[in-house]
Amino acid sequence: MKGKLSTGILYLAVCAFLLISGTDVLAAAEKPTITKPCVQCHKGQKDILRGKLDSVSMKAGTMKVSIGNAVWLVSFDDGLEVVGAPAVNKIKTGKEVAISVVREGADVRAKKITVKQPAKVPPEKLMKVEDLKKLVAKGPEMGKYTLVDARPAKRYNEGHIPGAISIFDGQFDNSITKLPKDKDNMLIFYCGGPT
Amino acid sequence: MMSPSSARKAEKLGYTNVKVFHGGMPTWKKARGEVISTVIYPKSMIDQGVPFVAVDLREEKDAEKAHIMGAVGIPANKIKSAMAMFPAQKGAPIVLYSDNTENAMDSFAVVRGWGYKNVSVLQGGMDAWLKTGNIGISGKLESKINYVPKPLPGVISTGEFKKIADTKPSDKFILDVRDEEEAMMGMLKGAKNIATQELQYRMDELPKNKEIIIHCITGVRAEMAYHALKEKGFNCRYLNASIEIDPDGNYNITDN
Repeated sequence: MKGKLSTGILYLAVCAFLLISGTDVLAAAEKPTITKPCVQCHKGQKDILRGKLDSVSMKAGTMKVSIGNAVWLVSFDDGLEVVGAPAVNKIKTGKEVAISVVREGADVRAKKITVKQPAKVPPEKLMKVEDLKKLVAKGPEMGKYTLVDARPAKRYNEGHIPGAISIFDGQFDNSITKLPKDKDNMLIFYCGGPT
Repeated sequence: MMSPSSARKAEKLGYTNVKVFHGGMPTWKKARGEVISTVIYPKSMIDQGVPFVAVDLREEKDAEKAHIMGAVGIPANKIKSAMAMFPAQKGAPIVLYSDNTENAMDSFAVVRGWGYKNVSVLQGGMDAWLKTGNIGISGKLESKINYVPKPLPGVISTGEFKKIADTKPSDKFILDVRDEEEAMMGMLKGAKNIATQELQYRMDELPKNKEIIIHCITGVRAEMAYHALKEKGFNCRYLNASIEIDPDGNYNITDN
């Protein structure tokens, strides 16, 4: 009986610690930052946590998620929606997840957890170098395509494929006006390639 | 990999015919595809004192009216017989220009054919150079290519970077300036992550008594961080190469 109680207290202490470290991250994320125009800038979504799943406790209704160097403790209940896995305790630890959360005071409660699927480009979407060469020889107008260099602008300036326009992936959302108006137009992206 | 990510974002916007050239710039270069640079590239090399080769392909009389500083004059119809003038280093940055993009393309094939990996045609040629407010030098052009490679200030060699990443000497500090989201996918063991845009607020988290070794993914953000830290008196260098790190901290570096 006594043993059980002290384990409970220890557990609470760990929870409290994790909650505090979680709030620290939150505070840091909300600090105003001035972004230089040339810097890649992902706008964090406040209600979505993205990180690696460390562990799940069905008993306590909590899971631990590593985000950067911090660990978050997120609570959940039967209403949790799980996407990409049969159940929350079936998600392998270390998997990348996105969790939609609601915050009530210090409590961070998960509504939905999505397991990130490996980013793979389906074969029909891949462009071969021979095919690209033929298109580039025609030019964007004749060939009816838009070629986009997704690398940072500095790399584009140093050397790009003829006819390509520069839209750095990190600034994609701010650059959509550079994309063709016709959404059925062929849009080809390239970057520094797999390494 | 930035291109699949952009492709997904474009599809979300409703684009129906999105493709990815997965091999990217390295594959394009290997296939001897034409490479275009913009005026910003030679301009920044001149400003930073980085050695490169500029070749003016126009007729002598036009080139003497206005050319890019330090350019060597080789008219396009003589380029084929000029191989011996080119540097021994096949990785030397070479910028070919004419009055426009098109007139330099044939020369590109010739020089690229000799095995020069970093040759490019200046987009818009001399017209673009002058239109963007850059100075045209008048008078005689260089008759010889004088290319003496010089390492960029602050750049750490791949070999030394690997040694530091593997042995983690106590007098070095590895700083990862990628965004938190990127760092989450895997970091070098013992490295600290502070995104470039956060750096100015978090310099107090960096040691003054260690050499800071900075990396990002391609070297672009690391270079910006290098200048920012240098200005504040930190002892630092950066990796000007592409690095990929897996969730276990294993990494792979390739030259840009």
